[in-house]
Amino acid sequence: MAGSTVDRAAHTGPALVRRLKEIEPNGYAPWLDRGAYQAVIAQGLPDTRSEPWKYTNVNRWYDVALANHGHKPRRVHAPDGVRVVDFGDLRARQLVAAHRGKAFNLVDHPLAAVNGLLLGAGIALVVSKDTVVEQPVRIEDLGAAYQHILVIVEPGASITLIEEPATFVHRIVEGVVGTGGRLQHLRRQGAADSRECSLVAIRLDADTHYTLAQSSRGAELRRNDVLVTLAGARAQATISSAWRLQHREHLDNQITVHHVAPQGFSRQTYRGVVGDRARAVLNGRIHIASGAKGTDAALNTKNLLATAKAEVYAKPELEIYESDVKCSHGATVGTLDDAAVFFFRSRGLSEHDARALLVRGFLREAIDDAEGAASLGLAS
Amino acid sequence: MSLLRVRDLHVSVDDKPILKGFDLTVQAGEVHALMGPNGSGKSTFANVLAGRPGYEITAGALTLDDTDLTCVSPEERAHRGVFLAFQYPIEIPGVSNMEFLKAAADAHAKHAGLDEPSAMEFIKQARAAASQLHFSADFLKRGVNEGFSGGEKKRNEILQMLLLKPRLAVLDETDSGLDIDALQVVANGINAYRARQNAVVLVTHYQRLLNYVVPDHVHVLIDGRIARSGDHTLALTLEDEGYGWLDG
Repeated sequence: MAGSTVDRAAHTGPALVRRLKEIEPNGYAPWLDRGAYQAVIAQGLPDTRSEPWKYTNVNRWYDVALANHGHKPRRVHAPDGVRVVDFGDLRARQLVAAHRGKAFNLVDHPLAAVNGLLLGAGIALVVSKDTVVEQPVRIEDLGAAYQHILVIVEPGASITLIEEPATFVHRIVEGVVGTGGRLQHLRRQGAADSRECSLVAIRLDADTHYTLAQSSRGAELRRNDVLVTLAGARAQATISSAWRLQHREHLDNQITVHHVAPQGFSRQTYRGVVGDRARAVLNGRIHIASGAKGTDAALNTKNLLATAKAEVYAKPELEIYESDVKCSHGATVGTLDDAAVFFFRSRGLSEHDARALLVRGFLREAIDDAEGAASLGLAS
Repeated sequence: MSLLRVRDLHVSVDDKPILKGFDLTVQAGEVHALMGPNGSGKSTFANVLAGRPGYEITAGALTLDDTDLTCVSPEERAHRGVFLAFQYPIEIPGVSNMEFLKAAADAHAKHAGLDEPSAMEFIKQARAAASQLHFSADFLKRGVNEGFSGGEKKRNEILQMLLLKPRLAVLDETDSGLDIDALQVVANGINAYRARQNAVVLVTHYQRLLNYVVPDHVHVLIDGRIARSGDHTLALTLEDEGYGWLDG
């Protein structure tokens, strides 16, 4: 019995903190300042009692945090008009220092500090002022356990970033979008037996547009933190995410849209289908700061339970410190409508096909591009 | 051989008897109107014919082409040629009309042992049917009944009927809630479908649809049984005198 107690204790936040304090730098981009990360980690990492980790056992991530995950080749396809800079390139030092870690707060995202300390692959994608890049940047893999993708969209520039299914322990996607810029972001997360966490942090200047379309299958443990800050006036953010889980998969989406500047516009649309004994969490937050007058924000989440043992935790949260705003939210959890199933069957579709078509339609309310739908296993 | 034969049909919903010895025989080529007061069992008959779960047949016989339908799944009934135009068509956002119609046509083709219609060929057919029912060009791309007006939903039911070419179509109050123009469009659709090899049962409250689609037989359903049958003039009598004179 004593042995198992020791084993459990070895996989907790304090244990990981102790081991991270002793860890040798891995040699990647040695000039990066790691002091800030060590300081945050020294204050402790979240445990299973931490509210943001209520539904995800963070200890299971600690289990794999220091495992040797090996290196794979990097596969990044960038079109003309996008400069790709490796964090390990000495010449990138100033650029990285100027932008990295500016779109989120390490204290609120302590796992990002673990990422910073153990970083094995980092790239900056830079789109110069007023450059509109039609072709997307496609990231298939960065090849290391801890990854950071920094997207710098200079004023008036425009780019599409596609994250294909990949394996990592922690990935940060950080975007800074200059005045009048546009960032379109497509994320595809495949079914995996991995335990992985990611942070998407986007900071929007005035008159910018950011769209995130995220389609997720489940993993043994998959946690997505998304923070979008509308820091400039009239910024617009549209976030849509669909997920489809089965077996004992786990997906935890913690998404915050933070309106800081006036006249911001945001929409969040979530659709999830959860089967077998899988578990899906959606915590969608709209935070409207004092001074963000004229904000128009909405969040809508709908969830389908395909079995009696599937679990869904869907929670919209509004925090509003300004009176002159429009803000709405809605959340539903249910099963497929029997009347709809019967309608399709009465037109000749088998029960299986009727349900599949309804599920497809349901998820398409959030993800309607063909590749995104395909990554959810929804044939056209 | 009769297309549809219903004999002494008893149907309960939530253990409450609704149809209590319902009889109806429909031959190919005929149009029947089924009328009657609210709660008499008209919609129950329409739904039980289509195989809707929750409608329990407790006694009687229901055959199509002399083969039993009572234990047949809704999709199999559709394949055999039964079509129900719903009284309250539902909205299915996210699934386009085109995708749904093609899936239905494919399912029918597969069951008949035929090749699925090619996308091009089917789009052509669907567009023709849509224009026949006065739908605008973007209709096929829109979600099934999504944001449709009441009249559009009813016209969409008729469009599905035209494309699936059933042998027996039961239209459950398809005329309710239609303005005069829409009623005319729906009636034209029904008349276009009407043919020697198929049959229509119109479930309706009103005579006005029957001015455009003249039935061969009119039946009055009261308290779960046919109380009176006649030719199209029976509907006119009902319009003038109501159902009271049939009681008892």
